[in-house]
Amino acid sequence: MEQRTLWSRMMAIDRRILYLILAVNIVGALMARVVLEPNIPPAVRSFYETIEALQPGDIVMVSSTWSAGTLAENQPQFEAVLRHLMRKRLRFTIISFTPPARDISHRLARRLTREQGYVEGKDWAHFGYTPDIVLAVKGMSEDIAQAVRQDVRRVPIQQLEVMRGIKSLKDYKLVVDITPSDTLTAWISFRPRDLKIIYCPTSVMAAEAYTFLDSKQILGMITGAKGAYEYEHLLGIVGLGTRFINAIQFSHVLIITFILLGNFAMFMQRRSRS
Amino acid sequence: MDWLLAFLPLNFERTSIWIGAICTLAIYSILYRENPFYRLFEHMFVGLAAGYALGPNLVDVIYRFWWEPIRQDGIWWLSFVVPFGMYLYFIYNEKYGWVSRIVIGALIGASAGLAFQAFSSRYLPQLQGALSKVLWYPPNSTGEIYISTILNNWIFVVILLAVLTYFTFSFEHRGAVKRTATLGRWLLMIGLGAIFGNTVMARMALLIGRVYYLLDSWLMVRIGGG
Amino acid sequence: MFDTRENIWAAFWMIGAAILIFALIPLLQTLPPRGRYLLIAFVTFIAGLFFAAEFFLPVDEKTGKNFLTDPFQRLQGSLQVITALSLGLGTYGLIRLHLRNAVQRRAQWGYSIVLLVSFVTMAFFSVWNTLAEKGLLGVQRTPLLERAFTLLFDYTLVQLDATMFSLIAFYIFSAAYRAFRIRSVEASILMFTAMIVMIGIVPLGKFISDSIGLPIMMTDEMRTNPFALETILYSLRLPEVANWILNVLNAPVQRAIEFGVGIGALAMAIRLWLSLERGIT
Repeated sequence: MEQRTLWSRMMAIDRRILYLILAVNIVGALMARVVLEPNIPPAVRSFYETIEALQPGDIVMVSSTWSAGTLAENQPQFEAVLRHLMRKRLRFTIISFTPPARDISHRLARRLTREQGYVEGKDWAHFGYTPDIVLAVKGMSEDIAQAVRQDVRRVPIQQLEVMRGIKSLKDYKLVVDITPSDTLTAWISFRPRDLKIIYCPTSVMAAEAYTFLDSKQILGMITGAKGAYEYEHLLGIVGLGTRFINAIQFSHVLIITFILLGNFAMFMQRRSRS
Repeated sequence: MDWLLAFLPLNFERTSIWIGAICTLAIYSILYRENPFYRLFEHMFVGLAAGYALGPNLVDVIYRFWWEPIRQDGIWWLSFVVPFGMYLYFIYNEKYGWVSRIVIGALIGASAGLAFQAFSSRYLPQLQGALSKVLWYPPNSTGEIYISTILNNWIFVVILLAVLTYFTFSFEHRGAVKRTATLGRWLLMIGLGAIFGNTVMARMALLIGRVYYLLDSWLMVRIGGG
Repeated sequence: MFDTRENIWAAFWMIGAAILIFALIPLLQTLPPRGRYLLIAFVTFIAGLFFAAEFFLPVDEKTGKNFLTDPFQRLQGSLQVITALSLGLGTYGLIRLHLRNAVQRRAQWGYSIVLLVSFVTMAFFSVWNTLAEKGLLGVQRTPLLERAFTLLFDYTLVQLDATMFSLIAFYIFSAAYRAFRIRSVEASILMFTAMIVMIGIVPLGKFISDSIGLPIMMTDEMRTNPFALETILYSLRLPEVANWILNVLNAPVQRAIEFGVGIGALAMAIRLWLSLERGIT
């Protein structure tokens, strides 16, 4: 009778206690001074090496469609990618396909580029927001000036120093797609054939992208905050990915423990009933 | 005492951080139970999100792609675009609502027309990738292909065919086909398990980001990790 | 706004176009239902034909274009505008609903007032900020604008948005404990895979594998001898198992799903293009 009460009490535990356990786990893990060496998967190494292979002065398109809802996953990726591009002295342009993504990426890019002495208009530019990614990518594949017209500060594309010698996406070396949604398929479907793509999805979208990695439609991928940590490790920097990774891995341990605990309680309750 | 002075909202930056923390805690109050505090901030969020989109849509899109080409480049036919697009807003009218379907039809037609290019660019390379898997040592191979690669390729092809069989509904699954489809269903669970694992990581990361903001920016507690 | 000649001409064209387009509506209203359906089907077909033909028609070898590519370039801006207007439909519907709630004092109309006030405030500062960013209409960036927009966007909207999405973590955890029951073969496979992936992809997986003494690196000798004990032990490292699951087991599953979805999407696209799908257009 006592055991039955215990197992059924375990299975009927108030969900608010579960929430509290999760919160305590995360707070504890964030404050822990533990740093574990990452395992660098081939996709992350390939991502890093694709940017490393570029030459100073090459131009990269950063497609930044993320907003506040996926801040914790995409912001570490965005910051690490921009730091890498600036370290390699690459030119880059940013474009957004949702309204909040425009301001978030522009404000963040302004802060990061100021730290590295990059000048907007000269070394980098933001093309603002366009609602339809398919039309934008298809249009930019032929003529960026006609597809985008001007940057976020209303400077015509032809007058931007960063766009000197660049007419269309065919002149770009690489696209980095940082996104929580399905923008990758639009880039793959409508970009110029030889334009390389590397991908920074949230973890939810990552599992579906392995098929694109296998067919070499994307050359590398960093998955969420965890991928950002591995990428930061390759870059030798400490960013948000490094700060989050402890909490990520110990939350996984917690959730696995509780799944097993829940199943064990169910099993024991069944046994004690029979 | 220094910490307390730095913590309190005594300047614009700290006040802003406090407002952010209050917004965060107000939303988290739903975890305890439904309350008016949560409802207030929820409605504020919806209003802010809807209001924010107006700026970029009006200025970054309509001004950039409509007003300025008409005014600066003299592309006069563009004048018809916005009135034509405004037909969409008749959807709320019972009598004239059908005219919105003209614009919807144009958008759907455009998406459908673009689907051919999307199909060929997206799926044909994947089909090619699947068909070009090396399943045995090619003639004149110089030892660059390992047995593990060949084994993995066989596994890839078997899984692909099994899962495709499971998704084939044109005929009844019987005998060997049924067993293959069952295998496909089990293997599909592997893909779903991978998705589940990654989904858990994604959601936890979003929560971790919020807790990090509360600890680092608001409470100014030192965070570990690097 | 109406200082220059271009502005006057632009305004003239816009007003003229608006009058013409809206004057068309009573004319269109005279169409019988069959005529309306044919008109919508015609517009859908022409729109689809344009883009399909632009893709299928052969291109000039030197320029990489066909005769439809340049018209597409000129049209794509207008389609962006129509897409932006279609997105505004949702906002319009939302404001309409809450205005009605507030005016008619329906249940919880107080919250509708909060929503409307937030909407108007944010819309004002968002438009002001975007105009100031582009230097349009002589609008300047002022300290008030900077502070107000920073407060509303960075410290309110962004925080609320991020927090809303983070709530799901709690629900996933609670659901995983209370509802995830391993009762069948399929559930076991799913759960086992998820657990290996969750631990294998994080540094903890590497740490556990190193701690129990599994080989740390793959050497050339191990690569050429896959059945050696050392190679097998290396392959049992949690990160290697997780990567193998993701790349060798998960990838073909996702590809099979992609093929199924792709063929279905193409079939649906053709049906929509030819207006065979009732109830859509």
